[in-house]
Amino acid sequence: MIHLQNIEKVYRTDTVETLAINGINLNIAKGEFLSIMGPSGCGKSTLLNIMGLLDEPSKGKISIDEQDLSRFSDQQLAKFRNQKLGFIFQSYHLINDLRVLDNVELPLLYRTSSTKERKMLASAALEKVGLSNRLKHFPTQLSGGQRQRVAIARAIVGNPQIILADEPTGNLDSAMGNEIMEILINLNRNEGTTIVMVTHDENMANKTHRLVRLFDGSQVQ
Amino acid sequence: MLKHLFKLIWNKRKQNFLFLSEILVSFLVIFAVFSFLTYYYQNYTKPLGFEYERVWAINYDNGQFPKNKDSLQTLYSTLSNSLKAMPQIEEVCYASGNFPYASSTMSTAVKQNGKKFDRVNFYTVSEDYKKVWNVTMLAGRWFEPEDAVSKDKSIVINETLKTAIFGEGSAVGKLIGDFEDKHKMKVIGVVQDIKTAGDYWPAGNAMFNRLDTGYLKDTRNILIKVSPDADATFESQLYKFMTSTFKNSTIEIEHLSEMRDSKNKVTIIPMVIFMIIAGFLIINVALGLFGVLWYNINKRKGEIGLRRAIGASGNSVSYQLVLEALILATLSLVVGCFFAVQFPLLSVFDVPSSVYLIAMVLAVIFIYLLVFACALYPGKQAASIHPAVALHEE
Repeated sequence: MIHLQNIEKVYRTDTVETLAINGINLNIAKGEFLSIMGPSGCGKSTLLNIMGLLDEPSKGKISIDEQDLSRFSDQQLAKFRNQKLGFIFQSYHLINDLRVLDNVELPLLYRTSSTKERKMLASAALEKVGLSNRLKHFPTQLSGGQRQRVAIARAIVGNPQIILADEPTGNLDSAMGNEIMEILINLNRNEGTTIVMVTHDENMANKTHRLVRLFDGSQVQ
Repeated sequence: MLKHLFKLIWNKRKQNFLFLSEILVSFLVIFAVFSFLTYYYQNYTKPLGFEYERVWAINYDNGQFPKNKDSLQTLYSTLSNSLKAMPQIEEVCYASGNFPYASSTMSTAVKQNGKKFDRVNFYTVSEDYKKVWNVTMLAGRWFEPEDAVSKDKSIVINETLKTAIFGEGSAVGKLIGDFEDKHKMKVIGVVQDIKTAGDYWPAGNAMFNRLDTGYLKDTRNILIKVSPDADATFESQLYKFMTSTFKNSTIEIEHLSEMRDSKNKVTIIPMVIFMIIAGFLIINVALGLFGVLWYNINKRKGEIGLRRAIGASGNSVSYQLVLEALILATLSLVVGCFFAVQFPLLSVFDVPSSVYLIAMVLAVIFIYLLVFACALYPGKQAASIHPAVALHEE
């Protein structure tokens, strides 16, 4: 599903070069639930951003769903992200000026779909995460766990094949974290969604199919 | 997407209040500027209706002239003949003080079938007035000597007054009442409108009255049309001739071309000042808009990153931000147009509705262009924000 070949990422300033990722090779199968762990600054999020096509590798090749993405234009990458990928972030990244339903609809705005269809799909996604009674609320009126569930609904509304989650339980207490983890596990199990999750939490990582450990930008496990 | 943006803007109406207010105030100022410009332009493009080149106005104080009407008539007749005898003078006429480009005005009202027509410029002129100014007759005729003995007072009206009273119908031979409707006046001719107040002002309603002997004691102006070779030397000779004719009088000779220039300056200079002030205001507003949009983009980096992550390309982020600014402008313009449209509806300042409507359209276009220009660069900058960086910063 996702193939990373000798991925390297170097951040350059006028005076300093920082090697964030060094020669990562990784194959993630369809339907796999993979977690990435490592200390802060080891390159986990950078690797996830590269998989999510939000960042370009300095070297190496990435292909998703057997498509070589290195020659995709900005427009093509945007379309690919919209149709194939779903993102969940530690800080939720909800738009506070939009209601829950409108937040979940967002990915569908960049597709050809009618208002009615968007509303239907967004409502269904919110129902999946148990928030069908919070459609008209604003994010600021929700708890952290509820916000993360809205973010999950937004990630799955477009029915993507892959979900990339960057510390989805990082801002939550353990009970809320477990609830979120349950949702992700169910998504993986029931819908066959491939999930790549960055986490600091060993317990959460242990619930996934496979664990990849990074240290100083290199894969150590 | 449009509905989504409307929703986003509506939910952020408090944050957008400054932006909306700026646009509204700018629109009203620009509307005022364009109203003036349109009004002046519309008047400027209308024909002048007369020839002012080579026309001189001689103003004198006639306080020591004979009181007897016949003696006065003889004096003026002799003076006119003497002036016409000069090779440099082509035409001569007497007129009330409100001749073209003069600073004085005289107005009255007329009545027709009980309806009153206000602000009618009232010119008292001798028979040769038409020749001096080369005024164009549209219907009927100009004054002739026999008008002095006609039963009803003969008048010539201009096209604007004719249209106001008679519409498309004929005015020649019709009677209209004076301001109290006590005396009837017979329209003997209709002349093309003459813009006596300068190139940028309308002719308005105008009525010409034949100068009779009763008015001679109040006459203080001689208008002459001179030949092309009339120079400063001739002007000096003319001055001497006038001082010898009107002893102890103060004589003043003015060239109508110079009077026209100064009359136009009275309109142009305040307008230029107004435009400069409006220009500074617009520059401030543009910088303000630019700043607000720039600030919004920096404040919304997380949202921009998110949109990029979920499927927006750089261009669509840029397009969205420009569109948002234009929608905000539209909201302000709707309010602005509500106020602006009251001007033509209530006929404020008696200016034609077309002036306000054109000004409104121009102001709307101007504001859209201004907002577009101010939003374009911040929009481009937003497009270039790296999604990973934007999401990380948030």
